[in-house]
Parts: sequence; C-alpha cells; structure tokens
Amino acid sequence: MKIRNFLLGLGMGLACAVSAQAQEAIRIGIPVGLSGANSVVAPSVVQASELAVDQINAKGGVLGRRLELVIADDGSGAQGAQRAYDSLVFQQEVDAIVAMETSAARNAGLPIVNRGKVPLIYTSFYEGRSCSPWMHINAWVPEQQVAPIVDQFMDGMGAKKFFLIGSDYAFGRGMLEFTRKYVESRGGTVVGEEYLPMDGSDWTAIISKMRSAAPDALITSTAGGAPNVTLTKQLRATGVDIPYGNYAIDEGTAATMGTDAEGIYIAASYITGIDSAANKAFLQALKDKFGDKTETPSELSVPQYEGILAYAAAVEKAGSTDAEKVVEALSEVTVDGPRGSITMNKQHHAPLTMYLGRVAADGSVEVIKSFPDVDPGDQCPQFAG
Amino acid sequence: MAILVLDILTTAAILFAVSAGLLIILGVMKLINFAHGAFLTVGGYMAYLNGAAGLSPWLSIPLAAGVGFLGGLVIERVIVRPLYDRPLDAILATWGLGIVIGQLITLGFGRGVQFAPNPINGTTELFGVDYSAYRLAVAVIAVLLVVALSALLKLTRFGLNARAVIMNERLARGLGIDSTRVRALTFGLGAALACAAGALITPLISVDPNMGLPWLVNSFMLVMVAGVSFPGLLAASLILGGVQVVVSTYASPILGGMTIVVAAALVLRISPKGFSRA
Repeated sequence: MKIRNFLLGLGMGLACAVSAQAQEAIRIGIPVGLSGANSVVAPSVVQASELAVDQINAKGGVLGRRLELVIADDGSGAQGAQRAYDSLVFQQEVDAIVAMETSAARNAGLPIVNRGKVPLIYTSFYEGRSCSPWMHINAWVPEQQVAPIVDQFMDGMGAKKFFLIGSDYAFGRGMLEFTRKYVESRGGTVVGEEYLPMDGSDWTAIISKMRSAAPDALITSTAGGAPNVTLTKQLRATGVDIPYGNYAIDEGTAATMGTDAEGIYIAASYITGIDSAANKAFLQALKDKFGDKTETPSELSVPQYEGILAYAAAVEKAGSTDAEKVVEALSEVTVDGPRGSITMNKQHHAPLTMYLGRVAADGSVEVIKSFPDVDPGDQCPQFAG
Repeated sequence: MAILVLDILTTAAILFAVSAGLLIILGVMKLINFAHGAFLTVGGYMAYLNGAAGLSPWLSIPLAAGVGFLGGLVIERVIVRPLYDRPLDAILATWGLGIVIGQLITLGFGRGVQFAPNPINGTTELFGVDYSAYRLAVAVIAVLLVVALSALLKLTRFGLNARAVIMNERLARGLGIDSTRVRALTFGLGAALACAAGALITPLISVDPNMGLPWLVNSFMLVMVAGVSFPGLLAASLILGGVQVVVSTYASPILGGMTIVVAAALVLRISPKGFSRA
C-alpha cells in the first residue's frame, strides 16, 4: 500500500511539474502548408523553426521561459488557413504566430489575427501592401525584388523591350504589374504580358506570342514548382536565349533542372552562398541538428528562422508577451541572422540586402552583385513614423 | 502564321497521344478509366527513373509502355474484372485507383518536382521558322501511333476481335470470341499507351505526382467528342486543339485553358454522337 501511495504521489507530483512547465512556455503558432502547393518547401520551414526554438531554449529561453512550437497545416490555401488560425488563436491560444505561407492563406488568417489580437510575423515574400497593426513582415516585396533584375537587364545588357509571363494568381499578377510600372518608369516598354492558370501546363501559345513580339528580355513570375519548371523547359525547347529573369525559381530547383536553368537571373534576399559568419554558423547548426535529413535552406525558410529570433528579441525587449508591447518592439529590434542585420522598421516591413544571382551550367547560383539595404517603399503608410 | 500552324499541329499531336489510351479502353470495355491521369504520371516517373539509371532518354517510352502493359493486365485482373457487371462501380474503382497510385508515387518520390533528361534539345528550322525539335518529334511519333493503332485494329486478329466486341459484345461471345481476353489485353494496351504518353510529354512538362491530372479532363472531353474511333480522335484533337491554340493566341491563354472543355460541350450539344458518326 505504501509503495502504491508513494507512486501515486510521485505521479501527481510529476503531472503538476509538467503542467507548470507547460504554462510557463511561450507558445508560437506555425501555420504552414504541410499539404498542397507549399508542401515542397514546408519541411525546410519546419526545420528552420525548430532550429530557432532549440537555439533560444539552449540559451535559457526568453524571460526565463521556454519557447514551444505549435505547428498547424494550412493546406496552402484559404480554407485550411482559416481552420489553422482559428485553432491556433482561439483554441491553442498561442502567444504569437510566425507564418511562411501563401498569400491566399495569409489573407484568410489576417481577420482572425486581428480579432484575436496576436502578434504575427509573416516570413514569405509576397506581392506587397498587406497591412495589419498586428503583422510584421521580414521578407521581400516587389519593390525590393524587381529593381535588381530590371536594372541589370536595362543598364548591363541594354534591354529596352520586355515580355512578362506569369501564373494567374495574386502573387504572379502583383509582381508583373509592379514590373511593368518599373520598366515603364525607367523608359523601357513592355511588349506583352501573358498569364496561364496555375494548373496550366501548355505554354505553347504564349511562347509563340512572345517570339513574334521579339522582346530583348523576359521576366516570369509563375507559381513555384511545376508551372515554373514547365515554362522553363518549353522556353528552352523553343530555343529562347534572351536574358531571362525568373521571380519564382529557387536554388534547389535550379540545381535539379540542370542545363535548362542555365543563365536564368534571380534576385533574392537569401542565397546559400552568402559569405558571412552568421550564414555559415546557421548552415552548420542545421546540419548538426538534422544530419543528412537537412532540407536545403532557402528564401522561404531562412526568414522563418529569423522571424522566430525577432519575436524572441521583441519579447525580451518588451519584458512580457503582452501583444501590444511585443508588436511595438517588433518594429525596433534588430536580428543578426544568415541574411544580415534586419529590422522591420519600415511600416512593418524590412529593408533587405538583395543579391542578384545567375544560374551557372552546373545549376549552382553565382552572386553577381549585392544591393545593400534595399528599401521596401511605402507599403503601409498608416504605420509610418 | 507558320508558327501558328505548327503550334496547332503539335498541340493536336500531343492531345492525340495523351488521349489514345483512354479511347481504346472506353471503346472496347465501355469503361471510362479515371486512373488514366495516374497512368500518365506513372509514365512520367518511368522516364525519370530511366534518366536516373543513365539510359538513353528514347528508351523511356518503350520502357514506360512495357511497365504500363504489365501493370494494366494486373489491374484489370484484380480490380476491373470483378466489376464487369457493375459498370458504375468500375468507374468509381478506377477513380479510387488513380488516387491510390498518386499517393503511392507521393510516398515513394515525395511531392517535389523531378526531372527527366530530354531526348532532343533545341530547335530545327522548318518552313522558315525555328521550332522546338522535340514538339516536332512528338508530332511524328503521334502520326506513327495513328498508323500503328489503325493497323492493329484493321489488320490483326486481335483487332478483328476487338472490333467485334466494340460492335456487339454478346454476339461476339456467341461467335466464340473470348471477350474476357480481349478486355484484358485492351486494358493492358490502354495502360501502356497512357504510360508511354506520360513518358513522351515529360520533356515538355515537369514530373510531379499531379502531372497527369490536367490532361485527364482534356482527354476525357476529346474522347467523348471522338466517339469510338481513332480517326475521330485525330479529328477531335486537330479541331479542338486548334481552337485552343487560336483562342490562346488571339484572345487569352486563360480562356484557352478552358476552350477544349467548352468546345467539346458545344459539339456534343449539336451532335450528340460527336465526330465518329456525325
């Protein structure tokens, strides 16, 4: 009997200890596209999040409290995101959300964040001008992405006539609309702008149109993955060899695509080849934690890593997890991460160092130029000052 | 203009190649094979495996056809044959089969995009324009396919039996034709055609677990319009594919994406039997 009572007591004691610790932990919600279009990049995003939380916890957490992740599948779309945000904000009652997801998912989640008043850090590049008092964004917007490529084509290669091709969705159209304005503001012309639905795979007619328009340069903004690969293959099959800028290709895709990707220009805020101590330490830490299961980090997973660091820094600065104080602090704290020093102080957006890269014959990306602290422009004037 | 004509011809050739497997199964078995898209995907992955093994890219097409044929025979025996008397259930079963195949591919290869090497790169000059060499090769292959399939149906014993089954299965059975065997071979042939087509189109598109899906809808519409005949399918591919290219070129590629479905619906409204006996 005595032993039994002892065990019971021990069990209850343990249970209390565990629940006390659970109460103490700061919980960060991660809605991410484990299924659907984003499922290809989602594993790298989850790894980046886990690494960030591990590193912070290893240093004793934030304000003496541990960080804990709550991962929810947003299905890469609006419906899934509604469920994910509802559950994170109102059932799990997370302290903050750090989200790398599609624009559709973000737009579906924002009203829930506004209602629940939870700090949100959005870590995917996007078409710009999405504003909420609760949201900060540490990835690029068209203002930062478009200029390096267009400038390179116009100044470095003398291109005047541009042809634009995209997938028919918010990001594809938003990016190309901005590109058109930027090209025209610089005295160039856009001789064609064509879109195919996201699941479309036959670019024949568009490519023929482009060839008869005889542009000097081509810029594409498709959905990542299949549409991008399909378009590039069909372009190469028709022998298109004008300067080709691609907003949607990442290093991993370029590497597997091989010779078809050669010569494509990309502009990114993160390239694995960034030569800095912080980046090398990050790559090494990923490798140490995940071994040969490591997913190659990218433009989408690195901002996620830095987003969690930014939240931790903001909580530290605010001295609590109080949403309003944390949001205020998020505009002020600086994170030194793989992409350099980043502060989300520009109307909830961040000036970023952008790299112009060119895909080499072996699929690796060589950095041609870097543009330090490119300004995101007026994204949310209501938060100015 | 030359480019437009070439676009129409090659688009039609691709559509024909992709739909042929669906047509032959529908014709002989009165079964709409909703696993057709998944068979195309399997063909794409065969091309990927073939490339990964370092074999000649041209081999991927016969290899995919072989795997498709054997796989088709097994699937027919295990899944389709027990449902002969329940045609609707058989259609549902192929739908489910398509989902299962898609998920197995996802499990095995992941959701990411894979790459298969191209048999031909670059362009050739034809009628004064540089045109994608591979699309032209696909057009030639499609023409050979039309000839071969027509010969199979018109000149061989299997073709004679198959045509008898298409016309009147009970009568054919009464005359001593082993219609079960004809059905099994047909399903194998249909699966082989679908897999080969999947391998054939990989140089133009990406290999991923959903690559067959967009083609399934267009193939289905084309086969509905074609009626049960290969010349009918050729006509449907040329006309509807042509309309698609024209709409994409002169109106909008977004409208072009739905042209085949809309045009097929219109054709069926005017002539319910499609092109075959119109």
